[in-house]
Amino acid sequence: MAQNLNDLLHALVESHTGNLSASIFSTLAHHGRLSLPTLASHAQIPLRRARTGIASLLEEQLVHYIAGEEDSPALYSANLEGAYNLARHMNVVRLVTERHGEAAGQVVKNILQLGNARVGDLAEAYNLRPVSKRDSAISSEHATSNGYHKSKPSPLHHITSASELHNILRTLLQSGILVKVGARAFISASDFKEQIEETVINEQFPDRKVTGPKKQALFAGAVRQLKRKWQSDDAFSEAQDYDSKGTIKRPGQHFTAPNKRAKLNNGLTNGHTDEDSGPKLSSDLIVRVDFTKCTLGLRSLRLQNMAKRFLGNTTAAVYGALLQAIEGKTHSLHVETDPAQDEDDDPEDALPVANTREVAEFLVVGVDLSGGGNYVGKGKRVPNGAGKKRRKNEVIEDVEDDELEDDGSHPTTDGHMSYRDSAKRFEDIEAHLRLLEQHDKIFCKYTRPGIPLKGWRIPFGNLIETLLNDELDATINALYGKIPLRLIRILRDRGKLEEKAIASIAMMRIKDVRGVLAEMQHASLVDAQEVPKENQRQPSKNIYLWYFDTKRAQSLTLQHTYKAMARTLQRTDVEREECRTIIAKAERTDIKGNEAEKLQQGEKQALRAWRETEERLLTQVGRLDDVVAVLRDFSGTDTSLLS
Amino acid sequence: MPFLPKTSPESETLYTDLLAAAQASDEGLKKLFYQPDIKDLADATAKSVDMLLRFIQELVSHCLLRTSRQGGALCWSTRPRAAAENIRALATNERTLYEYVEDSHTKGIWLRELKKRSGIEEKKVERAMAKLESARLVKLIKNIRAPAQKTYMLAHLVPSDDVTGGSFFDAGDLDESLIEEVGNLIVFHVRSQSWEERKVYSKRPPRAESPIYINGHGGGGEAEVGSKRKRSPDIEDMAAPHHQKPSKHRSHRRRSSPDPEPYTLQQIPHPASPPYPYPSTETIHTWLTTTSAIRQSKAQQLTLAEIQGVIDVLVWDDKLERIAGGYRTVRGVEFRPPGFGGAVGSGGGWGGYGDGDGDDEGEGEDEGEGLGATRNGNGLTQVPCGRCPVLELCGVGGGQVNAGSCVYFREWLGREV
Repeated sequence: MAQNLNDLLHALVESHTGNLSASIFSTLAHHGRLSLPTLASHAQIPLRRARTGIASLLEEQLVHYIAGEEDSPALYSANLEGAYNLARHMNVVRLVTERHGEAAGQVVKNILQLGNARVGDLAEAYNLRPVSKRDSAISSEHATSNGYHKSKPSPLHHITSASELHNILRTLLQSGILVKVGARAFISASDFKEQIEETVINEQFPDRKVTGPKKQALFAGAVRQLKRKWQSDDAFSEAQDYDSKGTIKRPGQHFTAPNKRAKLNNGLTNGHTDEDSGPKLSSDLIVRVDFTKCTLGLRSLRLQNMAKRFLGNTTAAVYGALLQAIEGKTHSLHVETDPAQDEDDDPEDALPVANTREVAEFLVVGVDLSGGGNYVGKGKRVPNGAGKKRRKNEVIEDVEDDELEDDGSHPTTDGHMSYRDSAKRFEDIEAHLRLLEQHDKIFCKYTRPGIPLKGWRIPFGNLIETLLNDELDATINALYGKIPLRLIRILRDRGKLEEKAIASIAMMRIKDVRGVLAEMQHASLVDAQEVPKENQRQPSKNIYLWYFDTKRAQSLTLQHTYKAMARTLQRTDVEREECRTIIAKAERTDIKGNEAEKLQQGEKQALRAWRETEERLLTQVGRLDDVVAVLRDFSGTDTSLLS
Repeated sequence: MPFLPKTSPESETLYTDLLAAAQASDEGLKKLFYQPDIKDLADATAKSVDMLLRFIQELVSHCLLRTSRQGGALCWSTRPRAAAENIRALATNERTLYEYVEDSHTKGIWLRELKKRSGIEEKKVERAMAKLESARLVKLIKNIRAPAQKTYMLAHLVPSDDVTGGSFFDAGDLDESLIEEVGNLIVFHVRSQSWEERKVYSKRPPRAESPIYINGHGGGGEAEVGSKRKRSPDIEDMAAPHHQKPSKHRSHRRRSSPDPEPYTLQQIPHPASPPYPYPSTETIHTWLTTTSAIRQSKAQQLTLAEIQGVIDVLVWDDKLERIAGGYRTVRGVEFRPPGFGGAVGSGGGWGGYGDGDGDDEGEGEDEGEGLGATRNGNGLTQVPCGRCPVLELCGVGGGQVNAGSCVYFREWLGREV
């Protein structure tokens, strides 16, 4: 089973950093933690090359290392999660483009290609070396050859000034998509935990004994605290990481500062560079993409898409805003429950809450709310913002979401909302949220009365399961058809059933049911439990109870998807090999940049065909990653990639 | 056939009275008479229990009364004169068998059970039953629980639902087309009550696709629509999927639309509060049994449980969704207008709807674009590997099957195989 994953990771690393690194990575994945000389001997490559390979892997954060003491040799281990995340690049770029605009998408794409990047280098690359877009495809392709040193990120014409780049980076840092690379970024999760525990024991438990429930609780608390401290030490903070020439920022206030929204606006490319750009980021700041946050974002997109399928576009847009508002308050995919909380509390109470006003802030102005809420929106429309893709930039200060009254209506014409209009808007938003709440899938929930926090929650636990089932259903539907899907849903809803019962519930002929069940059993999707009626256990007299095991279907489909992904990537190599000569020619220094003149017509065509093929295959990898994300990552409880 | 004297006038009167009493009662001929009941009816003629016994015996021997035992007490029920005539004409064996069949009433009796109970030789039983059948006294029915067994029942009785399997079985066979039709009717009915549908004339050609966030598409064109009318909705709100995947199927449908002004249907959910009265199983059942779409006699038979069964299947098929104690059609689900046999024309109210078989829905690329109905496929099922019959062998031990030699990939990438 693990073979599929290893194949996939090898293919991913190979296509990203070349086959030297890939073989080193596979060796590490196979043998576990190794020192450099052992690694070289296992991988059967010279030590010098191993060093080069490890360096490029480290640059991409595809390996973890740990050096126990001073002077002791560093030990390397494969970062499986990081390697898998190479497949998610395309989706991350899509997410960022959708939320923060085209230019931000490009920046993130470049950072992803580099693994991590110094802000200064990024700025330099953007300002000094304007190269055409076309070229970038080739240079990124070039990076796959052995031991090749990465070219500088290929900039795009539409980032025009350093301040624009800084704005984008700042927006991304604030939204958590980019994070600062701290000193502990290369330590694997388990080592990180061990270090924390070791430190806590050294500092607070001098007798080195953590026994007994009281002490254990104390220990766990201290570990949590230290973990949080270390994490926040490494996190980006405005106080540290801005260039000092900017205005003085008070730490901790950056997120709610009133001028922050204005900055957010400028972060999006709406054509103009703005005058009062914020302080510049320090050139020495090194940033990377935080995949946990991105997966959170992708999860939101998925949920929003599901809402769209069931309730339409407008309601889905409102839901998207709610998801984003909640996302800002979430740090991990898995809902962490604080053990210190009372046990009789509803676990959902721990979920973050967003009130209607927050939702309104994230909602793009110009979404016509009246369309979906039906009768709720029969009043006049909320005036539309002037821009197409601008965020709402007025913060409604004096409106409490639970005291919306229709007074003081002064219709304005300058694009700003009157009090009445904003109250109307809030009402409409709530109507949409109630639609979502009322749906069978319970997309969100209003907080129970009786607790101080009022607002909307998203019951992620159930929704993730719904997403998972939806993904499995889509697969079954496409591969086997509607009838098998119906039977599987019946088994999922009703539990174990005999075929006669299935036939009568599904309103089908028992003969047909038998055929379908046999097919499904062959595909390992359903199975039958044998229950003997008599002591003789004659097979003909046994009762067969059919059941559908979601866990099993999930892991089967996941393995299947890994394999499909690996093959798709391998196919990319095969295709590349077929056009090798032409690609090599196009990469010659004298031709590069002047392909139009120096290549023959047939060669140009072949090159274009190859690019299309590559694009198609890689896009498909991105789609397969969508499946993996649902099956494995969204619940946040999967540990198969932890190292 | 033993010779029987004519019935005495007294017993004749008793029989007439009993028959009249039975027919007057709710149970009809099934009405059981106990000794006191008969005594009450026969007060005038039957002076004593002895006399009564004699009359009853006389009637029983003429097959006009049938003896049975109910809770330890003897009781009798009447037989119509014609039936009695027929039975009297039967041989002893046949008569015994007939009585067993009669006892089983609407449940029917299995041939083997008959043989066992009567203790008559197997061959003879079979011969006798064949004779009874040809005399149209009994009939062979199909029990859905045991379709292979020969089950007999009196010819004039209607088998119970237990035996036939209910309204959705036709002569022991599942009536799939009826189920489909009833399901289709339910979808039609529920849909008409679950979404506010607006026909919207859109000025934009239906090809325009916009990313999720730009559904505000500027003020421009919409501003002219007028302040009273609501904005025309985003194209993706449309129930009609026809702009998504132009297939042969669809383009044909579009061509058949004479309407030059493209319109689209928008489905808008009803507001959440106060709870909109979505149709419940009860109201759906009431509607179905009163509608003229189903033949009256059939409609009367449909029980609530059967309708619930159909609704459940529709829910599993992603056609309906439960909401607030009732049901709503899943967004974008459509029904088949009767008599169209699958293909839907663009005329009428359902212009541009798919035919609901779902086969060509969401086949593809953007899952987000799909309508509520089940998503058909994802990244996995799109790649050749998702459907590969030899995936197990692929890349194993340097074998012949691998990513390089794969014919499915060649095909998928549009090369010649």
